[in-house]
Amino acid sequence: MDIHVDYARCEGHGLCEEVASSLFRLDDEGELVTLFDGERVPEGYEDDAMRAVRACPVSALRAQ
Amino acid sequence: MTTLAPSTDLDFYSEEVILNPYDTYRRLRDTAPAVWLERYQVWAVTRYDDVYAALHDHRTFASGYGVALNDPLNEKMKGSALVSDPPYHDHVRGVMGGPLTPRALRKHHDYFQERADALIDHLLELGRFDGVRDFAQIFPLSVVPDLLGWPAEGREHFLDWASAGFQALGPMNERALRDLPTLKGMWEYMAEIVRPGRLAPGSWGAALVEAAEKGEVDKQLLPALIGDYLVPSLDTTVSALSTMLWQLGENPDQWRMVREDPSLIPNVLNESIRYEAPIRALSRYVTEDTEIGGIPLARGSRALMVYASANRDERHWKDPDTFDVTRSNANTHVGFGHGIHGCVGQGLARLEGHSLLNALVRKVARIEVGQPTWRVHNTIRAMTTLPVEFSA
Ligand code: HEM
Ligand code: SF4
Repeated sequence: MDIHVDYARCEGHGLCEEVASSLFRLDDEGELVTLFDGERVPEGYEDDAMRAVRACPVSALRAQ
Repeated sequence: MTTLAPSTDLDFYSEEVILNPYDTYRRLRDTAPAVWLERYQVWAVTRYDDVYAALHDHRTFASGYGVALNDPLNEKMKGSALVSDPPYHDHVRGVMGGPLTPRALRKHHDYFQERADALIDHLLELGRFDGVRDFAQIFPLSVVPDLLGWPAEGREHFLDWASAGFQALGPMNERALRDLPTLKGMWEYMAEIVRPGRLAPGSWGAALVEAAEKGEVDKQLLPALIGDYLVPSLDTTVSALSTMLWQLGENPDQWRMVREDPSLIPNVLNESIRYEAPIRALSRYVTEDTEIGGIPLARGSRALMVYASANRDERHWKDPDTFDVTRSNANTHVGFGHGIHGCVGQGLARLEGHSLLNALVRKVARIEVGQPTWRVHNTIRAMTTLPVEFSA
């Protein structure tokens, strides 16, 4: 499963981090960083990834 | 097979339903995924999953034809972030939303905390006060106009303007008609305030005016964009802060828990906005034949996203009518909307709420509240008064 981050839409509300802190984190500047390589979600983390997609309040995350 | 559309002559905007909404919302949820409101010629969408799905399908459920239940306002608001579709929407949201991101707001944290601490100290000195006027209204009013760069004059109209703006986002009923002159006054003011030099340098408002001077946004749209900062930022936050104080007073055991564990603070605000959604409902225009849970919606019809019902849907929430600061999924509420039109000011609303809660946790041991009185308003779930007593 791939997760695409639309950085133009991401406003840094951090709800993805709240529900899936193993995959998403806001850095010290409040910028979103993904804790996985590229867009491929590590195996076993698909449910967390989907939770983050659903939680983002402004549609900045897309599962592919 | 044909499905007969569920339809009702229920007056969704009657005084009774506005003052005591939740039984009606439950009946609508139990009737069907979408129920046709004959009086307002709109589909009421009331279940959590359906509201969520429609908000995330902005192509089928468009905002660019307006989100109110009347044409004059829908026409007037075109060009705002609220009333627009991509690609224009992405552009305008990027321009006006920039200073509202949690990232951009970081530099204001200390300022908000100082203001919040000073307010709570003052209220502790008073002891007894009105929770709406002296707490919920005064705080947003003490920060938003400065950030927007508004000059001293005109600020006394802000609450009336915001209220009139939201009144008109419902149907054009007597309530909305009564407030129209106020709204006209606001539009005249807006047209004047966007002249270069009127809004304080370095403010959010001035940044928009500069963007227009550079040709990044259409000058004609400036009043609507300034309106995006002003109208949706006051009554909504006032409502959320009133509910928060009321429910913390009603549930002293929960207030004790929050004082013992301030990491609950973000959830207190989420749960307040879930429990009494400040914006009852806004609508969408259906751009192609579609269906909601098997109910066909024709292209050209309108669908009302009832956030306040989704936030109490027993299909999504356990004990939805109970206020619970420890609710584990409180952050899934749709009180800020969701999807591309999800509230652009939620970072600011959170900063206001969290600053106040931070000060309260440190300073106020007991919150006692009396009975609130409620306002009859088309869109906002609003109190008129809430007697409160603080003790340290
Ligand atoms: C507790 C406080 C607040 C609540 C409950 C709230 C609620 C909402 C909701 C439900 C929407 C979605 C509208 C839709 O679905 O069409 C929205 C959008 C919006 N809000 Fe808020 N709001 C709050 C505070 C603020 C503040 C402080 C600001 C501004 C500074 C603001 C500015 C906006 C704007 C401009 C939009 C339109 C965004 C777009 O369409 O892209 N709001 N808000
Ligand atoms: S929840 Fe959405 S907007 Fe917020 S940081 Fe994550 S991706 Fe960005």
